[in-house]
Amino acid sequence: MSHSAPGSNPVAALRHDLRTPVNHIVGYAEMLLEDLEGDRDADRRKALEAALAAARDALKLISLVLAPTRDAVEPAEVSGLYRKLEDPQRRILDAVHALLAAAGEVPSPTFAEDLRKIEAAAARLVPAEPGPAAPAAASGVAAARGKARVLVVDDEAGNRDLLARRLQREGYSVVSAAGGREALEVVAREPVDVVLLDVMMPDLDGLAVLQRLKAEPASRDLPVIMISALDDLSAIASCIEAGALDYLPKPFEPVILRARLAASLAEKRLRDQERDLVRALGVVTAAATAVEAAAYQGGQLADLAQRPDAVGRLARVMDRMATEVGAREASLRNRLDRLRTEIGVARQTREVVVQSDEDGLGAGETFAGRYRIEAVLGRGGMGTVYRARDTELDETVAIKTLRPELVVDDESRERFKDEIRLTRRITHRNVVRTHDFGEAKGIWYITMEFVEGLTVRQLLDARGTLGVESALAIGSQLAESLGVAHATGVIHRDIKPQNLLLDPEGVLKVMDFGVARLATGTAARHTQAGLIVGTPAYMSPEQLTGEEVDARSDLYSVGVVLFELLTGRLPLEGATVMALFAKVLSEDPPRPGSVVTGVPPALDDLVAQLLAKRPEDRVGSATILLERLQALA
Amino acid sequence: MPKILLVEDNEMNRDMLSRRLIRKGFTVDMAFDGKAGVEQARAGGYDLILMDMSLPEIDGWEATRQIRAASETRTVPIIALTAHAMAGDREKALEAGCNDYDTKPIELDRLLGKMAALLPAPGA
Repeated sequence: MSHSAPGSNPVAALRHDLRTPVNHIVGYAEMLLEDLEGDRDADRRKALEAALAAARDALKLISLVLAPTRDAVEPAEVSGLYRKLEDPQRRILDAVHALLAAAGEVPSPTFAEDLRKIEAAAARLVPAEPGPAAPAAASGVAAARGKARVLVVDDEAGNRDLLARRLQREGYSVVSAAGGREALEVVAREPVDVVLLDVMMPDLDGLAVLQRLKAEPASRDLPVIMISALDDLSAIASCIEAGALDYLPKPFEPVILRARLAASLAEKRLRDQERDLVRALGVVTAAATAVEAAAYQGGQLADLAQRPDAVGRLARVMDRMATEVGAREASLRNRLDRLRTEIGVARQTREVVVQSDEDGLGAGETFAGRYRIEAVLGRGGMGTVYRARDTELDETVAIKTLRPELVVDDESRERFKDEIRLTRRITHRNVVRTHDFGEAKGIWYITMEFVEGLTVRQLLDARGTLGVESALAIGSQLAESLGVAHATGVIHRDIKPQNLLLDPEGVLKVMDFGVARLATGTAARHTQAGLIVGTPAYMSPEQLTGEEVDARSDLYSVGVVLFELLTGRLPLEGATVMALFAKVLSEDPPRPGSVVTGVPPALDDLVAQLLAKRPEDRVGSATILLERLQALA
Repeated sequence: MPKILLVEDNEMNRDMLSRRLIRKGFTVDMAFDGKAGVEQARAGGYDLILMDMSLPEIDGWEATRQIRAASETRTVPIIALTAHAMAGDREKALEAGCNDYDTKPIELDRLLGKMAALLPAPGA
């Protein structure tokens, strides 16, 4: 049954060929056992049970030597297996023969017939004479497949019988047909490795059979050897033109018969292998095209991936890579789409920007000699942010003016300058670029890249929560920007939804890198002025207590942001800043999943870890955080 | 009685399994290859299909996919019969649309149990 063997794995093919007859024996023996009744049939029952036990032993032997995990097997192991199978084979045949010989009323009309089927199956278990059917040219495959199957087509019963017997003696398995139509039926019905085809036949002659075989894709490559008397040369020539591989003159010469059969089988095997490889490579190539067109379906190569050869390995690697890439791209696209929708909805609910600022700069006013103020974008603890036109470079920028209390002394101003200098080195698509730091009319200011978009704060206010998808999209972009900043030596110190901008494409832009440095430097010395800087709700415990902070402080803030994106509320809340301080320092926050449903446990764990009190208990770095967020996407 | 379609190319397997099922009271029709199996399934009003996975023409995986794709046969339970106890075959069979999976040699009681789980309760 070579057609039903999986792939081209010779071990699997041989396992299949050997298991099939054993399965038949098991099935028929069990069925016959069902027919037997009580004590009257005790002896028969015993014999059938013996056959069944022997068949199960055979299955064990086959599974042991031809384990599904193997893709190659030594010829010596195969012959060893055959030797071992001789014992169960003998036990089965002994039992069957005893049952056939036993006198008495048969339990069912087909009893003897079914026993003959067991006998036939047992006979197939061990090749009568392994060897001759496996020409040296392709011994590996041939030996693994067991006997080659020859179809003998001849209208003369004598010829047919002679050929069949000779071939069987050579170790072939033989099926015969008495005419052309019968031959075509056999080929359509069961697998055949080679056809010996008589030229002169009544009804459908050899040439007509040959033409039909060659016209069918399924039988086109089946080797056909014509049988003919030597005086029939013109007919032989027609047949060779029609695709016959060779011819065999009558009377048969055993040496020639053997040689031509072996040669045609070797060629068929090579052609089968070649066709199989071409087909397999076609599938891989088609998959590669699909990957390129972003139309690859996961598992498209699953069948090929089971092959033990190099093509199988190629298919496995390619399937894994393409599936991963496809899933990641789809998930990213999906998340960006959702963000875009969120932004669109929020934009409709957004207030028109305030056009003037009574305390600060007015619309239309030119500031620092080059910036024409256009609108107020926002006000915060540090100062006011304006949209302005840089008339020198003719582009829109954002200007952040700093509250005068923040820049009172030279020392804090110098440290802030250093920080801005560092920050300017960060060039990343998720970071709002810092341009300049300067002073005009007694007002200190920073100019930055202007980003058209909404802050995550605005989105949260409009939508309540943003859900897992958006949280992951925002979180991974935030982690990416922090990874770059931390590598540059910049700690943000004030990560919060107000500082996270989303542009219309869903790309996150993190604002105010390094700006909070100004506040931490001066705030401690100006507490009596009642100045509250930063946003305590997003600050790490160490930042709240005024200790030295490092990159891991930013990661705590990311944890707070993620918590808020998922649940719409802060992990810890206090009626007063002091109450909040106390909680952040001593109380464990709830897990997001305990506040809302639908948070994947791994994301729940990650947020909890980011919110750890001790920096050393948090995720190690922004880069690791990014990897973990991507793994969740 | 439940009407079963057995799709199996191997003559002895077909003979044996169909006879054993008929004795248990099932009505059993047979198809010899995947293509015939798909056609017969469409023609037939079957309560369950037993599908050998290694078949000529189109194999059992593909035949299952085609049966699942056709509206008239989409819901017929299919049990895959495979010769190989390969890791992953079960998942593969379920993924192709089979409802369950069994390996050869067939243990009739085990198979009957799986069939009973998928067939409507008698009298229902």
